[in-house]
Amino acid sequence: MAQTTMVPAATRAPKAGKRNVMPPVLRGFLWAAIGFVVVNTFVDIVDPFRGHPFVTGPSATFGWVAAVIGWLLGVGVWESVALPLFGYKDRWHEKSTGWRRYFEYSTDHKVIGLQYLGSAMGGFLIAGAVAMLMRIQLMSDHLTIFHYPSNYLTAVGIHGTIMMFSVANVALLGGFGNYMVPMMIGSRSTAFPKLSGISVWLVPAGILTVLFSPLLGAWTTGWRGYEPLASQDANGILYYYLGVAALTMSTFIVGLNMVTTVMFRRAQGMTWSRLPLFAWGQLTVGLLVLIWIPEIQTTFVLALLEKLVPFNFFAATGSVMSYLELFWLFGHPEVYMIAVPAFALWNEIIPVMSQKSLFARDWAVIGLVFVMMLSGLVWAHHMFTNIRNSELLPFSFFTEMISIPTGFAYMAAIGTMWKGKIRLTTPMLLILMSMFNFLIGGLTGVLLADPMVNLQLHDTFYVVGHFHYTVIGSLVFTGLAGVYYWLPKMSGRLYNEFWGKFLSIVLFLTFNLTFSQFFLLGLHGMNRWVPAYPQYLQPMNFEVSIFAFFLGASFLGHFIHIFWAWAKGAKATENPWNARTPEWFTTSPPPRYNFPVEPEIVSSLYIYGSKQPVSVQFPAEQELAATKDPQDEGGPHE
Amino acid sequence: MDVLGFGIVWVVLSILGEMGVRVIIHNDPMYYTASNIGLMVESAMDFLIVVLVPIFIFVGLTLVWSMIRFTVKRGETPTLPEKFARSNKWFVGSWVIGSIGINLLFFLHPTASATEQFFAMENPQAAANKQAIIVDVTARQWEWIFSYPQYGLTQTLDANGQDQLELPVGRSVKFVLRSYDPYHTYDQYVDVIHSFWVPSWGIKEDVIPGEARSIYITPTKITSFAQNPMSRVQCAEVCGPGHPWMEAPLNVVSSSQFAKWIQYEKKLQSGLG
Repeated sequence: MAQTTMVPAATRAPKAGKRNVMPPVLRGFLWAAIGFVVVNTFVDIVDPFRGHPFVTGPSATFGWVAAVIGWLLGVGVWESVALPLFGYKDRWHEKSTGWRRYFEYSTDHKVIGLQYLGSAMGGFLIAGAVAMLMRIQLMSDHLTIFHYPSNYLTAVGIHGTIMMFSVANVALLGGFGNYMVPMMIGSRSTAFPKLSGISVWLVPAGILTVLFSPLLGAWTTGWRGYEPLASQDANGILYYYLGVAALTMSTFIVGLNMVTTVMFRRAQGMTWSRLPLFAWGQLTVGLLVLIWIPEIQTTFVLALLEKLVPFNFFAATGSVMSYLELFWLFGHPEVYMIAVPAFALWNEIIPVMSQKSLFARDWAVIGLVFVMMLSGLVWAHHMFTNIRNSELLPFSFFTEMISIPTGFAYMAAIGTMWKGKIRLTTPMLLILMSMFNFLIGGLTGVLLADPMVNLQLHDTFYVVGHFHYTVIGSLVFTGLAGVYYWLPKMSGRLYNEFWGKFLSIVLFLTFNLTFSQFFLLGLHGMNRWVPAYPQYLQPMNFEVSIFAFFLGASFLGHFIHIFWAWAKGAKATENPWNARTPEWFTTSPPPRYNFPVEPEIVSSLYIYGSKQPVSVQFPAEQELAATKDPQDEGGPHE
Repeated sequence: MDVLGFGIVWVVLSILGEMGVRVIIHNDPMYYTASNIGLMVESAMDFLIVVLVPIFIFVGLTLVWSMIRFTVKRGETPTLPEKFARSNKWFVGSWVIGSIGINLLFFLHPTASATEQFFAMENPQAAANKQAIIVDVTARQWEWIFSYPQYGLTQTLDANGQDQLELPVGRSVKFVLRSYDPYHTYDQYVDVIHSFWVPSWGIKEDVIPGEARSIYITPTKITSFAQNPMSRVQCAEVCGPGHPWMEAPLNVVSSSQFAKWIQYEKKLQSGLG
């Protein structure tokens, strides 16, 4: 397991190159454009059924494939992966310092992690801006800024798709998963650094594909791509399928990489019973990803072919319900892909900030594993209004039971905080807020799990409120907590405690004021996917919009504060929280291969007390050997 | 000490919370309920809220309590005990067994009990349902078409020519739900999923192309769209750009009023005919 041959790449003198004619990202865009135009034109020429426009459904699809390949090659895959495959010398020199390394292909899991985090933040800002447009529209009961209802529905679809597939599935998995998990298990790299370096570039490709899908025409289905409605949509829906294909492929590679890394790259002494909670979370989510992402990709390929060929799998002449079943078969595990890393992170940060041993660790892990397993048995609760009556009770049974393992995360967290010595820092405050929000999300979900109550609440704003509480409540609040918690590790700098707390309190208040009223709107008869609605719902919607704008502003405030802290914050010590997990036992920011030598884990990572044992050691012999090690002889990728 | 204090505060807050719940239940958490199914849904919801409030207060209070009681000042380095408890069989045991118990309770009541009640209401052999008024509902992009085959009415409209649903109070109605477009039967893509929802009735049922579904409902209150806008048929599943406007007013009237309305519709139909 030890890889002592690796030496920080920083010691190699990068050869001055005339190689890079233009910045890789710019070259990626150029090659993507060339790929699209060439293949699009080719398909136009050979397509016997081509229509009038230059860009048809089939040509846009094949052109997109070429564009994505061009994009990936352009950002650096050409020199670093493609050419060496043909026997050319690897001429790609990976930068180990400077901001430019974040804008090109890299095999450093920390760079990749930040690329994922940055992409997720970009997606969040884009989809958040779209949400602001939706809220402006909903301030009045008739069409105002959207001139045609299809445009509003497309906005809903873009908001949901980007938030789910490029923020929720990316921030904690691709971002903190790639950056932190290898370090947390004492590894000096991930299992598939090249693959991972490629996969991260699928995220911006996917975001841009979905964002610009309306250029091919409006699509009205929302993030679910519901059939048979999708069969009526313009070609814009094709770019929904393709954008999601890129994003889910990226998530799939993250899952593969995380599962393999956690299984095979753990340091000496990192036994399963010592594995950090967040690594457990990544492992369970990775397994969920490996099981369910291929399922939804298959479904979307069917839907794409349905549109292009067309096949009529899911139209009125086919099997309408099949698409719904296939979508939600993935759709509910998806919810836990989002929530499980958040549960794991609660119990990662709480013991550190409470300076107290993690309570009932086994139950916290059992909770994560059972949530993962049960999540595949509950999908039809999204379909109580259309499945057979005989299916209502089994699915509501499993849906209600899944709250039991979910509750274990709370039990461990509460047990840890009780009589602890809590440092109420910004990350801790955000974790507490996240637990509160998710509590509301969970308890309102109990009402939805009851099939009879669901028949009233389904497809109303109540459901919209519920899932915003669970997703923003768990993922976004906890994700922000993670950013503040690991900021000293990633940047070597500290945030400002006053601004961190102030912005978090503003965020918490505006979030709750916005989304708690969604429950009331739903109960009062406000249905989903409507740019216009009965007049009696207008006053509350107006008020919700006002709070939503402040909510958007408070997110912006957080991002500005984080960027400021990253660049200008006070210097942090190496382990400002006195945490015991291995990622804190190296410099901040960490060197290229994380640790000078592979660390050895010698005790449980979550034991606190005046006589707490040492958790991480560096074998002295290896350390000595490492200092004598000659220059790295191998390629830059290990 | 903390456990006792926490327990007292939890009980006091739960009592206050339950008093608040009484007010909510008195005012109908669903705002307005006007059918037999809706009343059942409302009582299921009431029960869930009653049980959930102390749970919400318990967990929420632990978060607040920890924030107030167990925090240390900034920069302070507290003396830690030699060892912290890493388990507590009473807390873990009661949490695990308690959460299993509460969930089993919820599954038995109201989930299973209300669902069984619903099945009984939907039984075509039930006495009330044998006398049901049949309304054929056709969902198309974007219109609800109501026809009353027992009265020979193919499409009921108001004076402005808009689709209208009118029913007598206290009598079972059988809705037969279909999604197809009678004006574009040649187009295989025109039929999409709609959802038949009356907010004041507390129920919705998706309308799936290629399937005919039925549902029995008994309206319990005389009401109208003008009186309460929750009394409307509203499409709840996104069905394209016309989705927000796929709604029709619902009037529930006395049986004599209903008979008059049927006569009016018959006249209207023959006049159109």
